Amino acid sequence: MLYQRYIEIGRVCYIRLGEHAGKTCVVVDMVDQKHLLVDGPMSGVPRSTIRLNQVAITDLKIAIPRGCKTNKVRVELTKADISTKFAKTSLSKKAEAKKDKAGLGDFERFKLRVAKTT
Amino acid sequence: MKFKCAELKEYQIVGKPLSKANEKTPIYKMRIFAPDEIVAKSRFWYFLRQLKKVRKVNGEILRMTLVSNKSPTKIKNFGIWVRYDSRSGSHNMYREYRDVSATGAVTQCYRDMAARHRARAHSIQIMKVEVVKAGECKRPIIKQMHDSSIKFPLPHRILKYNKKSIF
Repeated sequence: MLYQRYIEIGRVCYIRLGEHAGKTCVVVDMVDQKHLLVDGPMSGVPRSTIRLNQVAITDLKIAIPRGCKTNKVRVELTKADISTKFAKTSLSKKAEAKKDKAGLGDFERFKLRVAKTT
Repeated sequence: MKFKCAELKEYQIVGKPLSKANEKTPIYKMRIFAPDEIVAKSRFWYFLRQLKKVRKVNGEILRMTLVSNKSPTKIKNFGIWVRYDSRSGSHNMYREYRDVSATGAVTQCYRDMAARHRARAHSIQIMKVEVVKAGECKRPIIKQMHDSSIKFPLPHRILKYNKKSIF
């Protein structure tokens, strides 16, 4: 296939921007070419519309019918164990590393600088 | 002149001409899409004046309620019947939008009319907003989303969001 990752029903997405930045969600339906209806019952994202550019696509996908209820999404997410699978992806690890770096204190930053130069 | 920065709100406004003595006056109900209550009342009188022989001076608003969205997580196809003034005349249009709420669809309509026809808000009249079933939609841009196994890749994706300030 020319493209690996598709925006489709059941695609697990990582929210880059907005109110729920840093959380994962599942594509439940599509409003138009630029807006999705997403739901993240396990990650605390309420069922809402989101812009495509607020979102990054992951490799993970679950099998849900178009526009299905939040409970069904929750069941399928736990069945496919998406939370552990997502934690293994490089996107998740990079996000964690970024968060750690932002939480460094002044002394930690100094230690990091020293460790980089040696 | 309407100033809109966020999504419009839907108001149901009921008003009637003032009655003299014991005469029965008709009561009119309108569905108004406006950014706030003040504009909503103003538009109500604007439309009522055009349609019936009532003016704000000779009338009263009986009730104004903010209509909330009954299904904010269900995507619907909206057919919007618009009347607008172009530079050389007045025209009717039927436009379709896909959104989660009627207010979202009407807001899209105003933006779209401004973009495609340079129509300002004051020259646009929303005549009717209705949910249209998928099979009855006419516009191909809306119909293309009616595929149950819809999927598309994101080729040539450029992420431009930069939160850092320039200075």
